[in-house]
Amino acid sequence: MRFEKYIRPQNFEEALQILKSDQNSVILGGTTFLRLSDRKYSTGIDLSDLGLDFIKEVNDQIEIGAYTSLRKIETDPIINKNFGNLLPKSIENLIGIQFRNNATIGGAIFGRLGFTEIITALLVLDCELEFEENGKVDFNEFISNWNIKRDILKKIIIKKKQGKSSYKMMRNSSADFPILSVAVSNFDTIKIAVGTRPSIAKLSEKASQLINSDNNKINEAVNLITDEFKFGDDLRAGKEYRKNIAPILVKRALQEVLI
Amino acid sequence: MKLKLNINNRYYNANIDADESLLDVLRHLGFKSVKKGCDTGTCGVCSVLIDGEPILSCQFLAARAEGHKITTVEGLGEKADEIIDVIINEGADQCGYCGPALVLTTYAMKQELKNPTVEKINHYLAGNLCRCSGYEGQLRGIKKYMGVE
Ligand SMILES: Cc1cc2nc3c(=O)[nH]c(=O)nc-3n(C[C@H](O)[C@H](O)[C@H](O)COP(=O)(O)OP(=O)(O)OC[C@H]3O[C@@H](n4cnc5c(N)ncnc54)[C@H](O)[C@@H]3O)c2cc1C
Repeated sequence: MRFEKYIRPQNFEEALQILKSDQNSVILGGTTFLRLSDRKYSTGIDLSDLGLDFIKEVNDQIEIGAYTSLRKIETDPIINKNFGNLLPKSIENLIGIQFRNNATIGGAIFGRLGFTEIITALLVLDCELEFEENGKVDFNEFISNWNIKRDILKKIIIKKKQGKSSYKMMRNSSADFPILSVAVSNFDTIKIAVGTRPSIAKLSEKASQLINSDNNKINEAVNLITDEFKFGDDLRAGKEYRKNIAPILVKRALQEVLI
Repeated sequence: MKLKLNINNRYYNANIDADESLLDVLRHLGFKSVKKGCDTGTCGVCSVLIDGEPILSCQFLAARAEGHKITTVEGLGEKADEIIDVIINEGADQCGYCGPALVLTTYAMKQELKNPTVEKINHYLAGNLCRCSGYEGQLRGIKKYMGVE
């Protein structure tokens, strides 16, 4: 990535105005991923002065600012207290702590990369995103429909819920990219998400429906996973391998949340 | 663009490109302990501390570093010697390329981890790659420094 001008807006209106008026401007998160592209932008917009680095409990929900580092989320007591280790587990293998001190949750979400594991985890929580222009948007909707392309992600809002959750992944070595990621939660209902297939994470419909109708039907639900999701090849694993691993990870996660 | 950087408690003026990485700026200013390895955020040899936290300077925009305290291994002084000594005593320092970043990250780990264990140490240092030592010797020394059996 290259850009000619660096701007630190002092309010959201100014930031959005630059983003909208100049189609070749870009919002800078931790720039961990942006840096790897060779695209040339006119302006890099740094939101560091807009107070987006926070994790707080607000009534029955938790709010995470878009500039909060992945490392902060991994180690934060509020996050750990509320969702068990679901979010930390989906972050802790990302390269090393130096990387996670810099990468932001906003960048991880807005980048919508297939291998971003926290997307898999957030899908099984009750989660909304707050944008400057589009206001509040359901997380699943944002991930599934690519209709928001240029806006400022301000915060991630997660409803606190009682229950269990589990995160499972497969990778060739500890800090490598994942080959597959699975998240399951059991709050009011059971939710199952499968990511890194290698495409972006998605919620299960059929398997979830079956397991919600009868908690004993773990094997039957797991058998639906391979048909319900599309799997593919990339450098790290083949389609068949992923097809074989996915049901195993889902089964282990379901067993954990149903004990 | 012009900026003033606080590096190891001294101020430096720098004239940088808007998109320049902190790694390149530090090296231009003479901090050659900060190494350029993969330049893609994966090897860890460019680690420096920003306000005490280890980050990868290849990914960190220099423009963002103004107003923060940057520490390179030179800034640790005797605190670095303590870590270097335990590593050398285990015969674990080989080509030395990853050394400054490993020392800085180990120093930050000591400040951060309240109850260190081997598992926590391995997790903390997972982002510091070394292509010659095989890690075992380094880990023996670092365990001593961290007070872990
Ligand atoms: C080498 C490498 C290895 C990786 N390995 C893994 C892995 O093992 N597991 C995993 O889960 N992920 C992995 N990732 C992905 C990682 O999670 C994301 O790339 C990273 O977290 C992006 O965060 P960032 O803050 O650096 O975003 P940036 O690179 O700064 O930005 C990413 C995108 O988001 C946009 N953006 C950033 N902030 C905002 C905002 N507030 N509002 C609107 N748009 C915004 C940017 O304009 C850009 O389009 C890896 C990435 C890299 C580069």
